[in-house]
Amino acid sequence: MEARFTVVQRIAALATAEAVDAVLVAGDLFDAQNLSDRTLHRTFQLMAAYKGPWIVIPGNHDAALADSVWTQARRLGAIPANVHILLEPKLAVFAEQKIAILPAPLTQRQTYHDLTEWFDGADTPADCLRIGLAHGSVSGQLPESADAPNPISPARAQTARLDYLALGDWHGLKQIDERTWYSGTPEQERFKDNGAGHVLLVEIEKPSAPPQVTPHLVGQHQWIKRDFTLAVESDLANLFAELLQLPDMSVVDLTLRGQITLLDHQRLLQTLTAVQARHRSLQYQLADLRLQPTEEDIAALHADGYVGDVVEALRQRQASGDDEQAETAREALAILADLLSQSAPEVKA
Amino acid sequence: MKITRLTVNQFKQFRQPVTLDNLTDGINLFVGPNESGKSTLVNAIRAAFFERYKSTGVANLQPWGDSAAAPEVEIDFEWQNQTWKLQKRFLKRQRCDLLIDQQHFSGDQAEEKLADLLGYQFASKGASKAEHWGIPGLLWVEQGCIQNIHLPVDHAGHHLKSALSGTLGDITSTGGDELIARVENERAALLTKTGQPTGELKKIQQECEQLQTQLIELNDKVQRYRTSVDRLGQLLQQRDEIDSQQPWLPYRAKAKEAEAALAAAQALQNEQQRDQQALKNCHSNLEFCQQQLRDFEQRAQQLSQRDAEKTKAARALAECQQFTAQLKQRRELAEQEFQKAKDALKAAREQINRRNLQREHDRLSEQLNQLRQNHQATAELQAALLKLRAQLQTQAVDDKQLARLKALHKELHEIHIREQAIATRLQYDLQPGKSIQIDDQAINGTGEQLLLKSTSISIPGVGTLQIHPGGKDINDLLRTRERLQAEAASVLTQLKVTSLAEAENHVTQNQQVAAQIDQHQTRLQMLAPKGVDAVVSDFKLAEQQHQSLTEELAKLPDAPAGAIDERQVETALATAEAVLKTAENANYEHLRELALRERECESANNEWQKLQAELQSPEHQSRQRESLDRLSHLKAEENQLRNAIQNRQKQIDSANPAILQQDVKRFTNSAESLENEAANRTVEISTLQVQLETLGAQGLDEAQNTIEQEFKRLSQRRQQLQRRASALDLLLNLLRENRQILTRQLQTPLQKHLNHYLNLLFPGATLTVDENLRPEILTRQNNNADLNALSFGAREQMGLISRLAYADLLNEAGRPTLIILDDALVHCDGERLEQMKRVLFDAGERHQVILFSCHPERWRGLGGGGENARQWKMMAIVFAVLLLPCLQPR
Ligand SMILES: [Mn+2]
Repeated sequence: MEARFTVVQRIAALATAEAVDAVLVAGDLFDAQNLSDRTLHRTFQLMAAYKGPWIVIPGNHDAALADSVWTQARRLGAIPANVHILLEPKLAVFAEQKIAILPAPLTQRQTYHDLTEWFDGADTPADCLRIGLAHGSVSGQLPESADAPNPISPARAQTARLDYLALGDWHGLKQIDERTWYSGTPEQERFKDNGAGHVLLVEIEKPSAPPQVTPHLVGQHQWIKRDFTLAVESDLANLFAELLQLPDMSVVDLTLRGQITLLDHQRLLQTLTAVQARHRSLQYQLADLRLQPTEEDIAALHADGYVGDVVEALRQRQASGDDEQAETAREALAILADLLSQSAPEVKA
Repeated sequence: MKITRLTVNQFKQFRQPVTLDNLTDGINLFVGPNESGKSTLVNAIRAAFFERYKSTGVANLQPWGDSAAAPEVEIDFEWQNQTWKLQKRFLKRQRCDLLIDQQHFSGDQAEEKLADLLGYQFASKGASKAEHWGIPGLLWVEQGCIQNIHLPVDHAGHHLKSALSGTLGDITSTGGDELIARVENERAALLTKTGQPTGELKKIQQECEQLQTQLIELNDKVQRYRTSVDRLGQLLQQRDEIDSQQPWLPYRAKAKEAEAALAAAQALQNEQQRDQQALKNCHSNLEFCQQQLRDFEQRAQQLSQRDAEKTKAARALAECQQFTAQLKQRRELAEQEFQKAKDALKAAREQINRRNLQREHDRLSEQLNQLRQNHQATAELQAALLKLRAQLQTQAVDDKQLARLKALHKELHEIHIREQAIATRLQYDLQPGKSIQIDDQAINGTGEQLLLKSTSISIPGVGTLQIHPGGKDINDLLRTRERLQAEAASVLTQLKVTSLAEAENHVTQNQQVAAQIDQHQTRLQMLAPKGVDAVVSDFKLAEQQHQSLTEELAKLPDAPAGAIDERQVETALATAEAVLKTAENANYEHLRELALRERECESANNEWQKLQAELQSPEHQSRQRESLDRLSHLKAEENQLRNAIQNRQKQIDSANPAILQQDVKRFTNSAESLENEAANRTVEISTLQVQLETLGAQGLDEAQNTIEQEFKRLSQRRQQLQRRASALDLLLNLLRENRQILTRQLQTPLQKHLNHYLNLLFPGATLTVDENLRPEILTRQNNNADLNALSFGAREQMGLISRLAYADLLNEAGRPTLIILDDALVHCDGERLEQMKRVLFDAGERHQVILFSCHPERWRGLGGGGENARQWKMMAIVFAVLLLPCLQPR
């Protein structure tokens, strides 16, 4: 949640720095309808840092329903004057900036007809840039969108003679045609390498001129998913090296497989704990990592006598077909190694 | 291990140095009275090993009241052919020196070396306590403690096992028991003994459940919120699209139109109803009038009918009257015939009667004849019977007299024969024509005579010859004959006969007469079974009847000629009677019918006349005319009404008031429902808006998101803890199982040593050890007893035996052993003590045993005599203490 506030802050800062004419938000400013007053106030306060107009349409997550995040914000009086929420499909002209906005706000969570259709027949002042603002799936262009709701014609920019069509809903950065772009979500929230975390800086000299589009990274966290197999000794060193190279404040999901000695397992846990501190989140799955006690392990841990027998029994159980049993045995082995390594110095002294 | 020398200085009661030297292998017995310092020496050995030289918690080692003292202990001992020399000084100028052969160790290093060797630990702080003492704690027994075995074994457990691991190979574990304890602790943090979640696991499970409940509630709320939003959206849209148009107004207008049309139609309907009522009345009047006319018609018809009936009755009467004479004549004829038949029958009956009388008369005549003959025959028979009976009476022969007579005749005959025989025979043959006289009787011819009596024969011519028969018998015979003859003559007289033959003849005749009488009587019986008198009276009666019948017959007229058939006459009479009856009936019926016809004829006439009079009356005529007038009047009215109704109905049908009514209702309802809908919508919209405003302010989605994340986090944590709990459970079970396997391997050799000693005390007995190698159950002659349940004395003995067994075990493992006993076995009875001495002596073969006692007499016989004990003077005490190193075994 905090990351989203930060990204708004960053966007406001970037807009101010680039001295843009307006910031367009193509839907889903909020990811839910029913938010706390604090969240609403804070978001709009952060937006207010950019003094120019924010032009916002509702998306499917914050659709302009009978009661919505927008009616709530309005009740609270949280919306600053420079934030324009376009709740109806009506032309909005920003004379000062010479921008004519054709919005296609969602007033239902899902629609099955193209809300941008009216753009084609809408008249705009000739001296204004003709800009479409919509939220949905461009038909036939996006994966998994076979029968996605909120369809948008891929030729809309052309048929509606738009200078630019700003689209939202797709979480990654994606260009549809010369004048049609998805910016993607400015703060990533999934493990997907699709270029999320950007805003687009769009420069258009005059009406009909081709737009110059520049992505700017504003996202704070990278979402990284890694799958490692530990087979030979050097693999562990490689893993450690890779972990150290991950960008700070990432969201990391690590799955480890293969096998590891008890001592290496201890080292691994220590390293992971250390690395965890550097990131927004580090999760790891070790269920498929088998603990393989070695002679050295047993000597170093003083796992002599019947304790040694127990170590062997657990190692064998780990290899059993029953996942649950194997997992329990693995955990037991790890606990045993931990307890022994704690008591080892004392026994030695 | 063997202590060879011990010196203490400034130590408790020994303010001056005291040395114990020349200690030997095997048993070393020191005896002395109480307070002589035996326990102080034991304390000194313990302090030298157990207490850290730097320890500040050992002020009790100083002599009483001497806080400046520096308690000092020196111990020399041998181990594995090395000489160890330990010097330790406490509290003041503290130091610790250990010289192993020539190698010197000092301070902590020296102390660790000793602890390693003997198997004990130091207290991390303060004075050493029982739990630190390890193996020496088990083998060095303080005064009065030998019966306590379990705790020292527990304290020594770890050291014992690690010491014994040499003999047992790798199976023991250096830190195994401690590890188990820690695993137990870790497990206890998450699971109870029975495996129920506790501590953090329980807490997190509860938290998860709470969160889940919250989440469900929240989801529900969110769902309700969304539904309400959708509803509100729908309502707003409807209000915009529908209510703003006021769609109910056209329906209201239409309803009004329909109402007006309905009113007009209803007015027509009322008129129609009135006319229909009038028509109905007209119909009923018409009906009445027609009925009246029909009645008049009917009367006229009735009159003609009655006329016909009248004629018909007259005709019937006439028809009937025709038969009257004929029927009367027929009846009279039948009556005559009947009379004739009756007379004929009477005549026939008289004739028959007469004939019957004649027949009776004839029969009686015959009967009378018969009776007469009977009567005559009877009389004859009776007479004959009287005659016969009289005859029988006269010729009656007495049977006895007859029998007497016969007997007399027989006798006479016999006499005759005898006379013949004896009689004189006189034969004669006389010339023809000549005669002689014999006794007066003339004889001629030839003959013979018997002579019984003097007989005179006169021969004519010749004279008389007298012949006298000879012999006296003849005279008897003659006399008998004469008597018999006389009697016979009497009888004959009585019998009124002359001879026997006659008598017999009479008898025969009597028999014949009797038979005849029987015969006659039988006949009489047949002829007069009821007696002769009855025959007579029958005869007389018949005679009278015959007489009267004859007279009666004479009075009757003569019978006509020819035969009369009675039955024929009777049949003729019956036929005549039947004919008469029929004729009479016919006549009767006819008369009845005639009367009926006459009555009918009369009544028909009356009826006709009555009706005729009525119909001909002027009132009737005028009424009939009136009715006809009214009928034509009513018919005209009906026609008029019909036309009016038909025309109006067309108007009503085209207006269709029922549908108009429905239209009014339909349009009004439509308008109302639209208005209501609009009003309801308005209410619902404002209600929903208020409700959503409240719900919206709660940040439901955000809260849901937060709780979902928290729930996810806690669920992961819960899963981790559960996995950890299962892992700890598994680990603990595995450790315990494996430890138990090990323990069993350790138990066996210990058992062997225990039984070795036990056999010296109780042959055949066994003492089991538990998993912690503690002695547990003593079995003697199948009698099991827990160690704690034994007597104090027995527990002392078991305590010592167990310790010796541990020592043996350690010895086998190549570990140092030293046994110190301070006043042990004080509760042993004499006999047991003797056995225990054998035990101790046996142990002394393998271990150095230092034994302190204040009862020298008890320990005599422990391999030697007290007299060899060396007296030794202690400086610190007033009285002498005898220190008696006992005789060395061998
Ligand atoms: Mn969306």
